[in-house]
Amino acid sequence: MSRRTIGLIVLLVGVVSIALTTFIVFNPEAPKSVRELGKYYIANTTRDVSSPEAVTAIVWDYRGLDTIYETVVLYMAIVGGLAISTTTRKVSLKTRTGLTSIARTGTRIIVLLIATIAFAIALHGHLTPGGGFPGGSALAITVMLIVPVYTLQSLLDQGVSSTRLIAVRGLALTALGLVAILPVIKGLEAVTNLKFYPSHVAGMLISGSLWLYNLFEFLAVASGFAAVALYLSIPEEVYREEIKGGE
Amino acid sequence: MIVTLIVFTVALILSLVFIYYAITEKDLLKAAVFSAGQSVSYAILLHTMAAPDIAMTYLAVSVGLYSALLVFVISKTERYEE
Repeated sequence: MSRRTIGLIVLLVGVVSIALTTFIVFNPEAPKSVRELGKYYIANTTRDVSSPEAVTAIVWDYRGLDTIYETVVLYMAIVGGLAISTTTRKVSLKTRTGLTSIARTGTRIIVLLIATIAFAIALHGHLTPGGGFPGGSALAITVMLIVPVYTLQSLLDQGVSSTRLIAVRGLALTALGLVAILPVIKGLEAVTNLKFYPSHVAGMLISGSLWLYNLFEFLAVASGFAAVALYLSIPEEVYREEIKGGE
Repeated sequence: MIVTLIVFTVALILSLVFIYYAITEKDLLKAAVFSAGQSVSYAILLHTMAAPDIAMTYLAVSVGLYSALLVFVISKTERYEE
């Protein structure tokens, strides 16, 4: 055994024993006030928000304004990235080929499965763990799979470009803002949930605005991350030519 | 309870091993894969701590998006560290 391995094992044992000692000596437990808060949410989410999922209820109702600002911050980050990596000329990548037909068929099946699960996560977000953000991230992964296997050009030929995806994201974000602001018309506070939106539609529980928020956040996150994947997969040479052409 | 603790400890030590290999690996692509493995063991940790929402988001972001982002970035630079 080398000295390095022994050193690593000593370090590991040391860290684990320090952690155990801290746990036994200080006995870290959540303060009582925090526990009361947790109990309140568990007991009252069904009444306040009419959703059995306490996490989604907190994220989109109790602290809904925070989440909307978070979405806006992410949007600004993605738009900033696009502003840096934008190209003036039309990207043409005819030379690049995709992978073999085995990989293509496998990817086709996997993409279908991931997309199905992504929709399920997002649209059941008010009933089961999940919501707009995890669902949208999962859907964006399909684009990241398609780019290396089917090439970027095939996506661009289908009319999927990062500018269009950013437009979709902008529309979804506008819809999300409208859902938040609409209650103001009736004189209620912004981000009001059950006083304005119905809890059931056609006998199905949608928990007021939670379902709408989840849907629009899903679209916004999916299109935003897909746009990032598309503009990152444009090869470096295109940018180099761009810089040369500009001089 | 004891099973949860065992799973927790195993995932914790597994994540440490993955972190060690991710840092020392000279092939950046392999390092990205080790980093994804570390994320998987963290997702197991979050699930044993009864936080399925966070586990789901963590898996989608850190295994899917983050690894894909790293691969894209590595494709723009050199694959092997000096």
